[in-house]
Amino acid sequence: MTTWRTLKSHPELWPRYFVRERVMRAIRLFFEERHFHEVEAPLLIAHPPAESYLDVFESKLLNRNRKATPVYLSTSPEVPLKKLMVAGIGNCFSLTKSFRNMETQSETHNPEFTILEWYRVGVDYTDIMRDCEELLLHISESLKRDVDMGKSPESLVYQGKQVDLRSPWERLTIAEAFKTYARVDFGEFLDVKVARRIAEGKGYRVEAQTTWEELYNQVFLNEVEPHLGHGRPTILYEFPGALGALARKKPSDQRFAERFEFYVEGLELGDCYSELTDWKEQEERFLGEIKEIKRLGKTMYDYDHDFIEALKVGLPESSGIAVGVDRLIMLFADAKTIQETLLFPADELFL
Amino acid sequence: MATITTAQFKKGNFIEFRGEPHQIADFQFVNPGKGSAFVRAKLKGLKSGKVIEFTYKSGESVEELPINTREMQYLYKENDSYVFMDNFSYEQYNVPETMIESFIKYLKPNDTYQMLVYGEEAVGIRFPKKVWLKVTEADEGARGNTATGATKTVVVETGAVITVPLFIKEGDTIGIDPETGTYLERG
Repeated sequence: MTTWRTLKSHPELWPRYFVRERVMRAIRLFFEERHFHEVEAPLLIAHPPAESYLDVFESKLLNRNRKATPVYLSTSPEVPLKKLMVAGIGNCFSLTKSFRNMETQSETHNPEFTILEWYRVGVDYTDIMRDCEELLLHISESLKRDVDMGKSPESLVYQGKQVDLRSPWERLTIAEAFKTYARVDFGEFLDVKVARRIAEGKGYRVEAQTTWEELYNQVFLNEVEPHLGHGRPTILYEFPGALGALARKKPSDQRFAERFEFYVEGLELGDCYSELTDWKEQEERFLGEIKEIKRLGKTMYDYDHDFIEALKVGLPESSGIAVGVDRLIMLFADAKTIQETLLFPADELFL
Repeated sequence: MATITTAQFKKGNFIEFRGEPHQIADFQFVNPGKGSAFVRAKLKGLKSGKVIEFTYKSGESVEELPINTREMQYLYKENDSYVFMDNFSYEQYNVPETMIESFIKYLKPNDTYQMLVYGEEAVGIRFPKKVWLKVTEADEGARGNTATGATKTVVVETGAVITVPLFIKEGDTIGIDPETGTYLERG
């Protein structure tokens, strides 16, 4: 049954769907109070950020003579926001749609989703960690004001589990998390040969074409992630350099990137980095990704040369984060699936 | 055994996991941030009945187990298992409750079902598209919940509670989809 029909016969379900508008309003207010500019980033773009792990939606732009130019749906507002940072906009955010192909059959993905990105000048990723703590508390308090949820705004209940949102949240480096939950020395695991041996020893299927990233994520998803964000949110930080497409390397240890993710009750909600400002390194990483996209046989596109030009002009030292707004809504609506928060989920539209 | 990849996963498939037979109870795609695609499966151990989660690399190969289907008659419940008899060999099989959990409320003694057999053990039931069951309790005067399009709930002979249209009466035989528990038609 489609959602509108379900709502017609079960009007008691409306409040769950209205959590979305309340969360969106609360987010906008949070940034307005902090004097951020809201940017409307384009959804139809010529050059998605080169990321081999993402699949893009492709279309055609026709001119008056029906001459076609390939265009794509934006996978994130990151690049337009950064160009505006170069131009001098200062602190800014975008609360918008993004599109990622091949993300069906999942309770935490919808091919069209709502994303929040914000960028701050002159701060590093640790400042963004505090923003996240404040933002979640702010949303919780504003929902509490709207309707008496009968709970303290400092905590919420998700799928029967109580989560304390007060700061400071748990902070764990990837290396600490691997040591604690998977009993793996991450320094050693960084070497692909050692990683293969460790994964094999743990009973994972390791094949000739298995990449380091797959080994890392298989251990992470099976042994580490299930432990994150229970009772209070977890900030997982210091990612291996190989997993930080647009992140700056940690000055004191080049093997790691200044990147973090945060988790609440097993939901991965956001992904932050200290932004890479070096245009040469950025261009090299884009070229590497394009090569990988070609190897994987995915939809090909050129990287954004204008973005490299912008970095040459100079991106101020800054940090930014992408937050999955649908998942935030799941959390505050106590919904088990992303579909339960969407009035028109993709699996009703297309399957 | 046949080798399949995660792309061929289906709910209810039987596969080998760490040397033991398991049934895929559910699966989901996951995409870690800046990572390739993975498949998170809920696997039910045929021997233990326990459900565990395991995340496969998308496209990873696994061994599918050879499962045969045999027609069997349901006889009776015995402790935590259900006793079936092979209609052809008359051999009896005990099926643990955990393997037919969601079908138990439709099981009717002496009816024949398609049972799944692995080696010497019956490990599950192939859900029929429709089961026919007699309504044993129905409130004739029920005005129904008009907001939901005039329906009411009735109890069928096996004890299952089903939402049906208002015209269904005690003694009617109704068709039910056991997968979803929804009313299909009146017999």
